Amino acid sequence: MKKFLALLPLIILAGLVCSSCQPVQAWERGTLAKPEMAIDADPMETTLNSHIFFSKEASNGGHNAAGGGCGCN
Amino acid sequence: MDNIKLTFIFLALMAMSSMVQAAQEGEIAPAVALPLLQDSGGPVSLAEYEGQIVYLDFWASWCPPCLVSMPIMNEIRNRLQDEGIAFEVLAVNVDSDPRDGIDFLLDSPVDFVVLSDPKGTSPAAYGVRGMPTSYLIDPEGKIVMVHEGFKRSDGEKIKQQILEMAGNTQ
Repeated sequence: MKKFLALLPLIILAGLVCSSCQPVQAWERGTLAKPEMAIDADPMETTLNSHIFFSKEASNGGHNAAGGGCGCN
Repeated sequence: MDNIKLTFIFLALMAMSSMVQAAQEGEIAPAVALPLLQDSGGPVSLAEYEGQIVYLDFWASWCPPCLVSMPIMNEIRNRLQDEGIAFEVLAVNVDSDPRDGIDFLLDSPVDFVVLSDPKGTSPAAYGVRGMPTSYLIDPEGKIVMVHEGFKRSDGEKIKQQILEMAGNTQ
């Protein structure tokens, strides 16, 4: 019990810290959705590179998902 | 034993910190009262639409599926109203800069009311998890359907749901 009481401030602090680690909410992704935020700035180049990779390696996928960072489906 | 207890407390705190209460089907729709996006008038509240079937839609100009849904829902809304069904679309724009939403509406105008919520208080109240998210609300203010995302074929499904509701309520 003593140990618990000693650690109580730490637990409360951890809770407070965790509560500030909120993910970006769905309606706050306007900046993430901007084209300049995309990992691949040029979709055409990405498509061509994927095609070359597929031709050489006979495998595809695993690079990224369609769309920007807005989380829209 | 103490360590296990402490771990559970820590995990519970972490879980609680990320918990968002989302509005569910069957629940009463949280209140919405916001200014108009384009005419800086209002506020317009969801309660004003009591007695009608309401399609409450959270959208943003940076969200491509949202922009797909706007003209489709506008057409559905106009067609159903022509048929005499008490149905209305209430759209809430969540762009942090409302001018982005206004620019889109200048290019693609809609006939329904569009409200502005740049601070995101209403999507937070509904616990919106993705964009767009829409809520079909019955005339008593109860959420009947929660719809996340939007693709062209969804319009017909939503229309059928509204027709079904109208059949039940008329």
